[in-house]
Order: sequence, then C-alpha cells, then structure tokens
Amino acid sequence: MPLTGSDSYYCAAAQQNYVKCKNKDMESPAQIIGYVELTIFPTVVNLNRIKLNSKQCRIYRVRVNELEAPFIYNDPTLEVCHHESKQRNLNYFSSAYTAAVSAVDPDAGHGELVIKVPPELWKQGDDLKVLKVYIEFSLDQPKGGLHFVVPDVEGSMAERGAHVFSFGYQNSTRFWFPCVDSYSELCTWKLEFTVDASMVAVSCGDLVETIYTHDMRKKTYHYVLPIPTAAPNISLAVGPFEILVDPYMHEVTHFCLPQLLPLLKHSMSYLHEIFEFYEEILTCRYPYSCFKTVFVDEAYVQLSSYASMSIFSTNLLHSATIIDQTPLTRRCLAQALAQQFFDLKQADEWVLKGISGYIYGLYLKKTFGVNEYRHWIKEELDKIVEYELKMGGVLLHPTFTGGKEKDNPTPHLHFSIKHPHTLSWEYFKMFQCKAHLVMRLIENRISMEFMLQVFNKLLSLASTASSQKYQSHMWSQMLLSTHAFLKSISNVSGKDIGPLIKQWVDQSSVVKFFGSFAFNRKRNVLELEIRQDYTSSGTQKYVGPIKVTVQELDGSFNHTLQIEENSLKHDIPCHSKSRRNKKKKIPLMNGEEVDMDLSAMDADSPLLWIRIDPDMSILRKVEFEQADFMWQYQLRYERDVVAQEEAISALEKFPTPASRLALTDILEQEQCFYKVRMQACFCLAKIANSMVSTWQGPPAMKSLFTRMFCCKSCPNIVKTNNFISFQSYFLQKTMPVAMALLRDVHNLCPKDVLNFILDLIKYNDNRKNKFSDNYYRADLIEALTNSLTPAISISNEVRTVDNLNADVRLILEEITRFLNMEKLLPSFRNTITVRCLSAIRQLQRNGHIPSDASLFKSYAEYGHFVDVRVAALEALVDYTRVERSSAELQWLLNMVQNDPAHYVRHKILGMLSKNPPFTKTTDSALCNEALVDQLWKLMNSGTSHDWRLRCDAVNLYYTLFGLTRPSCLPLPELGLVLNLKEKKAVLNPTIKPELEVASCLVFNTMEDEDIDMETVHDSQAFIHQHLHLLERPSTPGTHTHTSACMHARTHAHHLVTHTPVLFVLLGKEPPSVEQSLLSMPATPVPSFSKETSSLASKHAGEHGHHHHHHHHEHKKKKKKHKHKHKHKHKHESKDKEKDRERDNSHAYSNSPASGRSLRSPSMSD
Amino acid sequence: RWTGERVGRGSLRGSSGKAATSPAENYHLARRRTLQVVVSALLTECGFESAEKAAVETLTEMMQSYITEIGRCAKAYCEHTARSVPTLADTVVTLIEMGFNADTLPVYAKRSQRMVITAPPVTNAPVTPKALSAGQKRTHPAYIPSHFPEFPDPHTYIKTPTFREPVSDYQVVREKAASQKRDVERALTRFMAKTGETQSLFKDDITAFPLIAAQPSSIPYLSALLPSELELQTLEETDSSEQDDQTDSENDDPGGDKENSMLPPSGVPSAKASEENVIDNPYLRPVKKPKVRRKK
Repeated sequence: MPLTGSDSYYCAAAQQNYVKCKNKDMESPAQIIGYVELTIFPTVVNLNRIKLNSKQCRIYRVRVNELEAPFIYNDPTLEVCHHESKQRNLNYFSSAYTAAVSAVDPDAGHGELVIKVPPELWKQGDDLKVLKVYIEFSLDQPKGGLHFVVPDVEGSMAERGAHVFSFGYQNSTRFWFPCVDSYSELCTWKLEFTVDASMVAVSCGDLVETIYTHDMRKKTYHYVLPIPTAAPNISLAVGPFEILVDPYMHEVTHFCLPQLLPLLKHSMSYLHEIFEFYEEILTCRYPYSCFKTVFVDEAYVQLSSYASMSIFSTNLLHSATIIDQTPLTRRCLAQALAQQFFDLKQADEWVLKGISGYIYGLYLKKTFGVNEYRHWIKEELDKIVEYELKMGGVLLHPTFTGGKEKDNPTPHLHFSIKHPHTLSWEYFKMFQCKAHLVMRLIENRISMEFMLQVFNKLLSLASTASSQKYQSHMWSQMLLSTHAFLKSISNVSGKDIGPLIKQWVDQSSVVKFFGSFAFNRKRNVLELEIRQDYTSSGTQKYVGPIKVTVQELDGSFNHTLQIEENSLKHDIPCHSKSRRNKKKKIPLMNGEEVDMDLSAMDADSPLLWIRIDPDMSILRKVEFEQADFMWQYQLRYERDVVAQEEAISALEKFPTPASRLALTDILEQEQCFYKVRMQACFCLAKIANSMVSTWQGPPAMKSLFTRMFCCKSCPNIVKTNNFISFQSYFLQKTMPVAMALLRDVHNLCPKDVLNFILDLIKYNDNRKNKFSDNYYRADLIEALTNSLTPAISISNEVRTVDNLNADVRLILEEITRFLNMEKLLPSFRNTITVRCLSAIRQLQRNGHIPSDASLFKSYAEYGHFVDVRVAALEALVDYTRVERSSAELQWLLNMVQNDPAHYVRHKILGMLSKNPPFTKTTDSALCNEALVDQLWKLMNSGTSHDWRLRCDAVNLYYTLFGLTRPSCLPLPELGLVLNLKEKKAVLNPTIKPELEVASCLVFNTMEDEDIDMETVHDSQAFIHQHLHLLERPSTPGTHTHTSACMHARTHAHHLVTHTPVLFVLLGKEPPSVEQSLLSMPATPVPSFSKETSSLASKHAGEHGHHHHHHHHEHKKKKKKHKHKHKHKHKHESKDKEKDRERDNSHAYSNSPASGRSLRSPSMSD
Repeated sequence: RWTGERVGRGSLRGSSGKAATSPAENYHLARRRTLQVVVSALLTECGFESAEKAAVETLTEMMQSYITEIGRCAKAYCEHTARSVPTLADTVVTLIEMGFNADTLPVYAKRSQRMVITAPPVTNAPVTPKALSAGQKRTHPAYIPSHFPEFPDPHTYIKTPTFREPVSDYQVVREKAASQKRDVERALTRFMAKTGETQSLFKDDITAFPLIAAQPSSIPYLSALLPSELELQTLEETDSSEQDDQTDSENDDPGGDKENSMLPPSGVPSAKASEENVIDNPYLRPVKKPKVRRKK
C-alpha cells in the first residue's frame, strides 16, 4: 500500500466557516441548512480528490472554485459489519469497527465525503494554488452532533425554553457540518448563524455583529475566530438564553436558560478568581479575546470545552443555599477553564489532558487546600490502579508501528485504542486520570517552577504562532506533541525525564508492591522487604528509586532505596537507640513535637510507623504489613491525610478496642481533615460489627453524635440545623449513614440505632438555617436504607402489608412521606426522590415489600429530572438482574435506542455493564439468540450517531458475551468456513487499516464470491475506491480553509423556496423524482413536502431492509446453510421486485449511507 | 275590597308571613297595612275605581320612603341643633328642604273630600330584646354626669387573664413542633394522594402506603434547581434576623475560607449596576438593521 507518510492530508487550513442556523418551527423543530466554504492550499501536486468528514448531513451540492464537482458520500461506520449475521463475535466486530473508523480517519487523509476535483482545476492544483470548496448541506432531525431540546409546552419556542447545542465524543464536528474533523488541522473561521429573533446563537470566537434579516423576524450572528482552530473545537449553542456579563471581567459572558438567571449570577460569582489563578501561574493571558459559558439542559457531559466557549450542564447551577453542589460546580468550572488554556490544541492527547488536569489540580490545591488536593490525588491514584489491575493497562502514548497483531499495544482490551472513537468511555476517563497523574510525576522530578515555565513556553510559542498570517509550519507549532513537550522540559530544566516517560507514558500498567519488615535489634536495623507483582494483568515491573519514610522515636527519617532486579531486602539503619528518655516529646515530619502514649508499642523497637512511597511518586498500589499499633500511631500522629486514610483502611483488619479508640479520637479531633473523619466513621462501623460480641457501651458513634449535634438539655433531640461549619455539616451527614451499618449479634440493625435515626428525621428542623438541608435529609434516608437487613421469609411467600415487619413499617412510612412531600416541595436536584427510590429498591431486594418494577419505570420516563431518572434506571437494572426479567431488559434496551437524552442512554448501558443481568461465565435464561441479535444490531448500526454510545454497547456486549461467539448461539453448521473466518478476524487486528482493509476484502471476496460487485456492501466499495484512488495520490498535503454556512430551518416555506434550486443542482441530468429517490435512498431530496420525503426515506429504508434479507438469503442458500431463515417466505416475492428496482438504481445505493452525485458515474473509474 | 287585597298579600308573602311571628315583625306589618289603606284611600279620592296590586305596592313604597325621609331629615336637623326630639320647626324646614310647600299643608288637611280612616289597630311596639348582660355594669365615677351613656357590658373592655403556664420547656416545644410538622405533612400528602393518582408498593392493599404518582414535567430542571418559595422565604427571614457576620459564608468547603474574604456577598451585581451601562459586550449591543441593498 503506497499510502505512506501522509498522516495529515490537509496540513493546515485557513479561514471561514459561514454557518447560518435558522431555528426551527413547531412542525419541524430540528432542521439546519447551511453551507461550508473551505479554502484549501494544496501541498502536493496531483491533487484530484479531496476527502472531508461528514456524517448524517445531506449534501446537496459541491463546487470547487465555482465548478460543480462530483462527490461520493459514504459512511462506513453507519453499519460496521454488513450482511453479517453469523459472526457475532466481538473480536470480529472490533476489528471491523476499527477498520471502518480508519477508513474515514481525517488524520490519515480519509473522509466520508470524497470530492473529485474537476479536471479543469488539476492544473491549478498542480501549481499548488488555492482551491475553494463550497458545500451545501442540510441536517434534518440530527441524531448526533447537535442536540435539540424542545420542551413540550404551550408557547413560542423562546417561551418554551427550546434550545440546541453541539456535542460529541472527541472529534465529532463532522456530525453537523462537513469539515476536516481532525484536531491537527488548524484553520481560522468565520461563522454565521441565522436564528429566530428571540434566540441567541453562541459560538466560538468574537461576535462581530448581529444583524436582522430583511423580514426582521430573524437575526444573523457573525462570528470571527482569528486564532487557528481545529474543527472539533468549534461548537454552537442556540436558545432563548438569558445573558449575564461577568461583573468582574466584561469580556466573559454567561448564558443560561430562562428563569435561571439568579442561579447563574451566584454560580458564576467566583469564575474570575479561577481566571486570575491560571493566568498568574502560567504568566500568560487567556488565549482567546473572549470567553462564553453556556448552560444547557440534557447536556451530553457535564462540561465540554471548545475554542473560547464551554458548554455546561444546566444542573451545575445552584443557589446560595446549597452546600454540596458548590465545590462540585467550582471544580467543573476550574476544569473547563484549565482545558481552555491547554486542551484545545491537540496532537498528543495525553500531554494536553495531562497539563489541563495538572493545572486544575494546582487550582484545587490553592482553593480547597493541600489536604483536599492530596486526598484527590490519592483518590485518582486508587481509581487508576483499580482500573488497570482489573481491566489491564492504560496506555498514554500508544505507538502503532507494525501492522501485525503482536504489535497491538493493548491486546488485553476488547476495543482498539487507536482511534478516540473506538475507546470505551471508562477507559477514556482513566486515560485522563492517568495523564494528569503522570504530569504530577514529572513535576516531582523537575519541580513546579520548571513545570510552569515549560507551560508558559508552550503557550507563548502557540500564541506567537497563531498571530502569524497563514504559514503552515508556523501553525503546526500550536500543536503539542510528546516530543515537543519533552524537548521543552529538557531545555528548561536540563533534566532527562526519559526513563519516567518510558515507564509511564510509553508503557501501560501500574506497579504493585508488597512490603513487610522486621526489626533487627542487635544491628539496630530495619530490614525492609519490598516485593513486586509484575505478572498479573495491569502490572509492570518497577526499577528505580523509592522513598521510604520511617517514623522513629527520635524523629522521622526519609530513605531513598533503589528497587533493582533481584534485591528484595533493604536494610535501613535506625537512628533511635532505644527508649531511654520516656518523657521526651517525639518530633514529627513537619517539625511538630508531640507527646505520645507509647505504652502500646513494642518495647524493643523504636519504630512507630513506616510508609512506602509517601509522596505517591510512583503509580502504584502498596500493600504494607505493619502491626496494628503502628497503624494506630500513624492514624493519630501522621499529619498527612493520605497516611491517615491508609491507616484507616488498614485498621479495618484490626478490630480491637485500641483501634476503636484511635478512630474515635480522630472523629472528635476538629483539626483533622473532614474527609478523613468521614472515612473513620465507616471504618468504625466495620470494626464495631467485627467486635459485636465484645462491644461495650452504646452503639458506636452514638454518644459522639449526641455530644456534637444534640441539645445539651435533652440529648435525644438534635439541635436545629445550623450548617455554618461545613466540617461539622459533613460529619453530621455522614455519621448516621455509617451508624446504620451497625449490626447486632442477630445481624440486625440495633433497635437503638434505628430509633435514633428516626428521631433525627423527626426532630429535623431547618427553619433557622441559612442553608438547604436537602442533602442532609437525603443522607438520613440513606441511613434508613443502610439499616435494612434481609427479611426472614418463608419461601415464596407473597409480601403483604399485614406481614410487614414493624420496624420496616416505620421506615416505609418515612420514605412514603418524604417521597410525597417532594412532589409538593421539590428539593434541589430532587436528592430526596433519588434516595427514596434506591431505598424502595433496597426494601424490595431484601424481601420486605413485593419486588415490582412499575414504580421505577414511571420515574425513569423522559420528563423527570435526570438524577431521578438515573436513580430509577439503576433500580431497574438491579431489578433486571435479580429477577432475570427479560421484559425489563427489553424496556431498558428500548430506552437506549429511543430516549431523547443522550446522557441517559449512555448511563443505561454503563449501568448494565456494571451490574449485568448475566455475564459470559454465568448461565441465564436471558442469554438467547434474540438478545445477541438485538445487541449486535445496536452496536453494529443502532448507535452510529454517537461514538460513545457505540462503545458503551460494545462494552455491554463484552460483559455479557465476552470476546468470542456467544455461547447461547447454536453452533454453526459449516464450522469450517466460519472457523476460517474467525481465524481471519483474529489474525487481522486493528492496527493497520490498509492491511485490515485488504484482508477484509479478501475475506469478503471469499465469502461473497458468488455475488457480483453490485451487492458488495458499501464500505468495501468504498475501500475499493480508496485503493483506486491511491494510484493518483488523493489530496495529499493540502491546506484547508473552512467556511461553512448553515441554515437551521425555521419555516417550512423556506424549505420549499430553497429546494427547487437544490434539486436542480442535484439532478443535473435531470432525473425524475423516482430516479433520484432510488439513487439516493438515505438522503431524500427535501424538495418535496414533508410527506413525500418521509415516504421516501421509508421507502429507502424498506429497500435497504429487503435487500439485506435477500442478500442474506442468497448467501445462505449457496452455502447450504440449514438454518431456516425466518423471513424467507415473506420476502421472497418482494425480493424479486427489489431486484428489479435495484437494477434500475445505482450501483452504490444499497446502503443507507451512500449518497452520490448523479453526474459522476465515472467516479470509480 | 281590602279583604281581597289582604288575601293576595297573604298568598304573596306565603310562608314568610306565617313565619313572621315575632312581635317586631307583626308591628311592622301592621304599619305597612295602614299605609296601604292610606294609599288606597287617596286613590279612591282621586277617583280610581280599582288599582293593580303592584301599583298600590309601589305607591305604598314611595309613600313610606317619603315619610321615612321626612323623619330622618327632621331628626338630623334637630340633632344639628343639639336637641334630641324634633320640633315642628324641624319638620317644616325639612318639608321645605324637600321642595314641599308647607303652607299648603293646612289647607290640604282640611279638604272636604278627604276620607277618614280608622285608626290602626294598636299593636304593641316591639320590645328590643335585652342584650345578654355579662357581669355587673360599672357605674359612672363621680366626675361623670349621670346623663352620659352608661358603660357598656364589662366583657367589651375588661381583659380576663388566663393563668395557664406557657410551655417553655425546650424538649416539649421541639417535640410539639416536630409532631405538628409531621402531622401537617402527613395530612397534606395523604390528601394529595387521595385526590390524585397514586402508585402503590403493595399489590394486596393499594391504599397502604399511597405514593403520589410521578408526573413527568416538560421542563423538569426548573423545579429541581430553583429554590422553592418556602426556602426563599426562610432564607430572607434568617438573613434579616441574624448572621451579619456570616455574609460571606456561601463558601463551599472548609478549605475554601481564604478565597471568600475577597468575595463580596451577593451585592456585587447591584453594586456594579451603575457601571453596567459602560460595559461593552457584543451580546449587549443592539441588533443592527439589515442593510438595504436595493441598488436596482
């Protein structure tokens, strides 16, 4: 394959993108019409084909330098495996999917839309002169890329709060306009959006002016983005937004949906501080001249950053009375802003994700304190360690050198990591997490000042580059590669961080240490043994320095040990001789000197505690063995929150009165970090349960809670709420939840505790409180839930009201009342409802009330607040698993296919994968052929509009059936053929698309030898296309210059007035309506009234459908497959008709993806 | 003749006539009847043979109003001059005031063809029912002349202190507040559940724990995000009553103390309101009119 060295076809691009976005009417609320104009600078001669990315857009017309240009529109990702009903194995799918994504990968110079440069211009192209590509297109009810939220109420669109915004997983701009959808293809932009006069269009860049249209009913927003920007960083939000200019920074504008302005004002009141912080540490101004935040409903993700604007979920907004949401929202803002500085110029993803995550961490440290920061780092480290040990390694900087399977850097994964679009969402999150942790490791190595200098250098380089007039090599400096980053680091710091990068960036996996020690009294030496597990999945071997901190009686000492191949034991000399002076204060690491009660420790040893890698400078998991009293000392006296948290988790294994005392002391200690105290609560509950037979005194934490939060005069009544002190607030919230986990000797929640919680609910009084108590009440409900234990049931007894346990009746009363009150006085984010639903599910699971899904179904419906829906869906997923209900599973899958909210769809699949109804190792009645088919269809074609959802579906398929052919499928009769094929699929992994394509072709020709090329599915035709095109290098090295123009339709009549023109252009030949319909099945020409067009698409759909069956049938007969085809008889007659029809239609019309300009029959010459 | 009339009246009034058994009612009926006789007499005097019942009623009404007005006016005149019983002069002034030529009155009274009407039957003037007296009325103190009105009943001005101890025990108060709140909530939710659609957790007894049915809303985020009016109200109350030192406590986290010292409370936007008009933000600029491009 001669496709070499062209990893970027369109090396750079410049200019405009006119987007006119006319906003919708009642009847057709989701339509956009527009055009794009790209200016392309060829960098190679022989440019005769230009490939662009475009999905789901209907392309009407393409012109290159005013000349009509023929084009082919083919999207191989629409249906990944064609006509493939027998394979059903994920290996095969993954490789096919990767091949499909590679086939349109802009970074490899591919695209869904192939435009043939008119031969008249070839000369010009050879002279490397500018080409202008003009594309007219429309979008009708887009399923991905743009999300229309249109509440179903009375009133105009503005009154209803209808809005639209762009979204996507990684580079997904191709969903809403044709472009080079790559992060590495930079150009400047001009954007125009025409919207209803009541709407505001927010987009990237500077708003130059807003002009009414001639009828004064619409207005056009003109944006200019002079900084070279990649297409994936372009976004749009249109809606009847309320506008708030930031009172501190007038170039920052906030937008929210109607009625939410007070919340917006409050939530945005500290944004300027984040700005100041970043600008200060980076000593660099914010790269864009303005910044916009838009808060939208039904957001795809909580925050997404684009050039000079960020789109947030409206649910981040909160009022001043809400405590818990405030830090979360601030974190989101800080994250979004960090991404504004770094995330938007892409080359090597980990560098950018890492830097933005890292400076976000610096913000956390500054705003929320060092404790919070270290806690966060530990949390992130635990997360990545857990994920890698479970799923296998996360590779930050994969290199794809060879095309062979053994070069696949991540063979343990069921998806390819080559393309962002094939990455599972969870993996992607872990990727980001690991990236910023590695940045922190680099900081540890070279110091923070150097780190910030490097960032500053990178930013100033980028800004100089962007201020230049177009020069491709200059602009490419804005892209940040691993190489450039490392070079900059070595320039600034003079240090070589090569080994570090090799260990954590070029290699996946984490390190797993096991540590133990012995104290040799004679030699006064600590003999430390550190072993590693580097054989299990997700682990790697570590060689290098490791820091060990030993707290002795005479002070704390750091030692740096070298971990080498074969040395396990390390001798560390101790400083303290013995305990001569008992009264002496003991110096700690931070210089503090404290009195300790040393009676607990071993009289012979001066060691108080030992920590391995205390600064978390290795991505590792440490399992260290030391005596319980050492953990207790560590918990009490070590000032590092990470150490405290480690001690708490270790103490779970030592249920002794001494552990109890240590934990209780921590709980009471006000100086202690509140999250540590919260964790101590749960540990204490566990210890109490282990010690149940010997436990003395009242239930754990009860007297403590009484002392801290109840009235002095009447200890059974809690004080009226006053949440001024947040530490106490969080503790007050947590303690009941932990207490409810206590169990007595009968393994029931003690009566005392239950009554205590019920009293807390009863006496809860928030009237004098400045803050809302909704999270507190929600936690009390969670406490009630935690107190539940399985009902003692006579088997199969129907649960009735009469045999309800008295305690459970009390609990149920409370839950009923809470849930009902929420209808009248809804709480913030409906937290109460959320917890009530999970409480009810818990009651059902424990057999107290009859298991029933209908309640959850009604709360899961579209139209409830998203948190409520997710809670109800979670209950449903659980119900599905426990009851093995296929009806509910169907209901859920149905929602995955049809729900308007993308987030909810994603969530359902995620929850199903986490809590699957069955797995590949278990047998279940649910696991049947129909389900396999359904899921296969879902990931094969049902989720083509949303990369993330497709990856979710792949995950679920993997969880349920594994990598190989699902066991519930009948064994194929012609095992030989199939085995061969499977083998092929396995043999040809995802690494090199060219090879994959080739192998695909071979395999298909084998399989379809009896089928003429007409029926070969599209991606193959398409791939053929590519192969042909290679003869004359297609669009290698060009510069695009994008200019798009988009019209989102407002009025049906516009459509009519526009379309004749469009139609003529499409059918230059000019074809009859019939003909054009047949030749462009998935792209019904919009010149007809709505009915015709819907009819047309239906028709087209039918066409494709029948054809599919026919083809399928055909193959099977040939291969003497004995499986009866269900639709055989039904479709036989129709198939003949279709055959005839097909003969009339164009060769490439059998896939819904294919659109083709009629005047280019010679495209495949 | 009058009998017929009376029967008519009787039937007209129907039950109400019968029901009017109180002496006061009777008294007024008698007066009215007399007036009717007078009107009828006058009509006869004027030469009418017969009259419709409604006409007679109307005239009676007019007559009554006229006489009442004279009485009211005369009383007003007399009270105006600080007397309590009207004199002849008062009546005359009244008549004049009402546009009646008082001089013609003696002549008219002595006209020949006037009919003499029998005096109305003596009915007892209604006795005003005694107000229920509570307690002993107070007598005037020595310095108040006796002709001044008497004191009203004692209950109208005397406060009766009750001597029950107010509940101030903290525990009881909290207990009461809590149970009251719970009762109100329970009653309210039960009511809502009874009057609307419900969902139930049990199949055997769907009334056991009624849940108000979940209703999807078209804009769910509004109710979930905006604080309820109740919350806003309590917030205002607490704001005004206390917490002056806590104005900046809308911070989030224990760690976040430092940043808040520089963050003025909610007053920022209003304080900056004056500057607002200087802000040059493209989104605040007016929308431009389209350029007219008709060059043809």
